[in-house]
Order: sequence, then C-alpha cells, then structure tokens
Amino acid sequence: MAWELIEVPGNLNPSLQDSTVDVLATKIDPKLANTLIRQLSQVCPLENLRHVKRVRRRTECGGKSELSIILCVSTGSEPCSIQFSEDLQKIVDTYQLSPFTAKVAKYCATSKEEWEEQCKLWPTSYHPAHDLDIVRGFQEEELPSIFNCMKTAIQLSKAGNAAIIIDPSSMQIIAKATDQTHKHDTPEEGNTFSEANADVTCSLNASTDNDCNLSLPGSFLSKRNSLNMEISCINPWGWMRKRTCEQKPLPCDGCFAWHPLRHAPMVAIENAAERDRTMFPSSTSITKPDSNGNPENCCDNEPAKRLKTDTKDNEQSSSESFRGDLSETSRPYLCTGFDIYLVWEPCTMCAMALVHHRFKRVFYAFPNPVTGALGGVYRLHGERSLNHHYNVFRVSVPEAYSNGLKYCSKEC
Amino acid sequence: MATAFMEQALEQAKFALDNLEVPVGCVIVEDGKVISSGSNKTNATRNATRHAEMEAIDVLLREWQSMGLDQTQVAEKFAGCDLYVTCEPCIMCATALSIIGIREVYFGCANDKFGGCGSIMSLHKGDTSSSDDLSGSQASKPKGFKCTGGIMAEEAVALFRCFYEQGNPNAPRPHRPVRTPQQ
Repeated sequence: MAWELIEVPGNLNPSLQDSTVDVLATKIDPKLANTLIRQLSQVCPLENLRHVKRVRRRTECGGKSELSIILCVSTGSEPCSIQFSEDLQKIVDTYQLSPFTAKVAKYCATSKEEWEEQCKLWPTSYHPAHDLDIVRGFQEEELPSIFNCMKTAIQLSKAGNAAIIIDPSSMQIIAKATDQTHKHDTPEEGNTFSEANADVTCSLNASTDNDCNLSLPGSFLSKRNSLNMEISCINPWGWMRKRTCEQKPLPCDGCFAWHPLRHAPMVAIENAAERDRTMFPSSTSITKPDSNGNPENCCDNEPAKRLKTDTKDNEQSSSESFRGDLSETSRPYLCTGFDIYLVWEPCTMCAMALVHHRFKRVFYAFPNPVTGALGGVYRLHGERSLNHHYNVFRVSVPEAYSNGLKYCSKEC
Repeated sequence: MATAFMEQALEQAKFALDNLEVPVGCVIVEDGKVISSGSNKTNATRNATRHAEMEAIDVLLREWQSMGLDQTQVAEKFAGCDLYVTCEPCIMCATALSIIGIREVYFGCANDKFGGCGSIMSLHKGDTSSSDDLSGSQASKPKGFKCTGGIMAEEAVALFRCFYEQGNPNAPRPHRPVRTPQQ
C-alpha cells in the first residue's frame, strides 16, 4: 500500500430527488419571453434559486420549441392562484397564463454530472472551475509535498494529535502545535510561534526517500490501530477524568497547565495568529483601549500576555525581514489560502475553528469515528449555510510507514 | 432574572462594538452571580476563534487553576455554571460548551449561518446516537446542556446592524468602505 490522497466529499450521495423545490410555471408564447422575464424578475425575483434559469425551452417532436417560465416558488397551497402577489396576479391575468407545478434543483450543481441531472428537471446554470485541478483541489505534482507535510505532522505527534499550518505557495510552515489538553511529562515542543519558524521549510525539504530515518513515537505506533483516547479530538470529554498528579501553581502568567479546549488545531490557529500579530504589527491600531474603562471587562489579561511575547519576538520579526514583502497588503486575512495537516480528523469544535480561520484545504491521516466532523461522523465542510468552505482530504498512510521503525530497520 | 444577566452580556457586546469587533458578548453565572464575562476579540487577536464564550471560559480556567483546582474539580464547577450570550453559540463554541460541561445556555438571537444550538447543528443535545459503536467503551459521552434562545434578541440584532453599518475593518477585500470611528 502506497501513500494516497483521497478527497472526503462534503455530502454523501447527493440525491436530486431529496433536494428539489416546487415552483409554479407556465407555458408562454416565445414572443412574450423578453417582456415576461423583465416583469417577473421585478415582481418576483428567485432570491434563493439564482442557479435556476427562469425560462425552459423544450423542443417538441415537430421541431417547434416550447417555452415555459417560472412565475414563483410554490408554497403548495391550493388553488395556486392564492399564492400570487397582486402584481403577479396582474401578469397572469393580462397574458392569460395557466400555471402548473414544476420541480427545480434546490442547490447549485457541484459537478457536470449533477448539473446534467438537474437540467432534466429544469435548466440550471453551472460554472465549472476553469482548471480541472481546482475542482480536484490539488495538483498531481503537489502530491510528494503533501505526503511530506503529513509525515512531518505524524512525527510531531507524540501522545496526542498534531497540527501543521502550511502556506502552499511557499511551502512555508506558518505554525504547528500538538494537543495541550493536559500536561504531558515531556516538555511541549514545537508549540510556539518562534519554534515553528526555527525550522521553516528545512524539515519539509528533507529527503523523503529514506523513511527509515524518521523516528516515529512509540506511543503513536502502539495506538495506531486501536482508537487512541489520548487524542483530544477523539475523546474531548476525557479531560474531566484526568488528574494532574502534582498540582503546581500556574507555570507562567496567562499560561495554562492544562486546558480542555486546547486541541492541536486550536493551538496551531493561536500560534498562526501570534505570528500574524508579530509579523504585521502595524495593524494593531484597530484595538483601542476603552477610555471609559469598563469594570466588567475582566478579560483584559490577554493583551498583557501578548505584550510580553511581542517584545520577545521582536528579534524574530527583524530576522524575518529578509522576506522584504511584509507590507500590509501581503498580510494574509487569517489563514486564507493556507493548508492544515492534522494527524487525526478534527472534532466539530476544531473543524468549525478551521472554517472561521478560512483555511483552504484540510488534510488528515486517520479518521475520527467518535466525534469526527469531516467525514467520520459529520460532514461540516458540506454544510451550505457556512460562510466559508474548505476541501478535505484523507492522506492514506502506508502500513509499512506507520508500523514504523522496527519494520524499517530490518529493511535497511 | 434572565434579562438582567442578558443585559450584562449585551454590555459586553457593546464593548466589542466600541472596539470594532463583531458585537457578541456573554457572562457566566454561578449561584446567581456573574463570575466571568467575555466579548468577541477576533479582530484584535487576529484569531477567529476568540469568540466571547472562549474568552469567558479562559477567565475561569485561569482563575480556577491558579486556585489549585484540578480537572475533576474544575469540571464540577462548570457543571454548576450557566452562560448568557447575546447570539446563539456557533458550532465551535457549542462544542466547547459541551466539552467543558456547562449546565445551561441562554442566548439572544439565533445564528442561522453557523449556530450550533439548533440552527445548523444541535450540539446542545449531547449524545443522541445509539452509540454502542466502537467508541462506546472508552470515550466519555458527549455532554448536552439545556438551551433557551430568544432572550432580548432584538437588542442583540440591533448591535449587529450597527456593526455592519460601520463596516468590518478586518473583512477580506473587497468590502464596503469602513467609516472612521468618531472619537
């Protein structure tokens, strides 16, 4: 079994039968088409059915074409005339139209096949992406680097999940993180913005031919085949049962010894935001202190913490300046255009956070059958009401790779 | 009683609005007393996950950890807390509230784009599946919470209207011109 990339569709078997809307339509004299289209689009625009064409043309056996036009969306009440607004009724009366009920597709087609099916009911418009690769969401030549990024994420994951945010245009690591829901014995590594930057690209450019050099964490290997309850996204409610053996005072101001919501994707997003604030500090002007003083606002310890890290990272940002294009215009809006690699499929909290943060693509290696939001249990990315949508892919990891070192060492 | 707490949540939302943030605010109540509050800080932090609920939760986690409470004790505390928030928690926050095990949520207006308490998903219902699946054995079950919407919804919506009239300074281009804030 080789490395493989499988797209996780946003909706399973979208059946056209289940997603139609009833409309009232009428046959019209082709000479009237222009007049009626104009009048109806004013009197009764098809607000939520913009993909549906107002007029249907059908060619009859005699070669004569027959035109029908949508009057309005049907509410199902009988007789249909009671559904007409006053203006619409006027049009119906003036041209002596006789309405009938028709079905149209409720949603815009996402593929050519779907569109062809829709048009059998009533014509819709369909705008395929110009490039086939855009439809697929990745390009063939990207595959090696995609697999490479996933390897990096897997190596980062120790006891829990791991997340790596990548700018695919430069293959630069924007941020990385591991689960921080509970305190691990090992010191947290790679969870800060500065550390993420320390090895920018080098780990990604490292040769991948020799997988034997990769040291996979033992805990990861042993739990690979059973469900791993250490993964925050798989067992989000598990934090309550944990007890820290020795309860110490807070490690540092504003830090948490443990935190039920600090799943790897959430921490990675926070690190990316910190990088953004550090690299593009000028736009902090949008935060103005509350001059009136708001006694109820007790959340202001956050900026204080930032201030500390900001000064620390100033050196960092000056060393970054060789990129030279860090003007406001090049500042990304959140994670627009970025990819995130997760070892485990995210829960609904993390998947929604990825929507909020405008990721372009989400890659995960192992599905989450307990709370998975991107195929495991839910398909959040297929939820049409959301204001942003990303593509989701599962990276299939070869057994030989995930079974790791011992297998490898024999081979080498 | 609910409206008194919601008024305080609305105060938080106004604070967000004054700071050019999407105006959502919340308070967390324990034993009839407000013990934490939060306002949306997504623009200031450039972190789109810093919703009011997340801010208010972090205040308590920080406080309780500094008091030396462990996970079990913190879970017990959250189980006695109610949240009042001006807008229906989104799918992310609804999951987060379920994860920390909040007792009850009262919200103002519904969130028909990404509401997680009935509008788009119903995460407040907790474990509704007949889950004797592979998970059942080890994983803790999803926790539900009681959820009531529509409390002072008009006030919450009015704040959103204010915000969108002044324009979101952090929205991706192209967007409507931002009206400069009056001092």
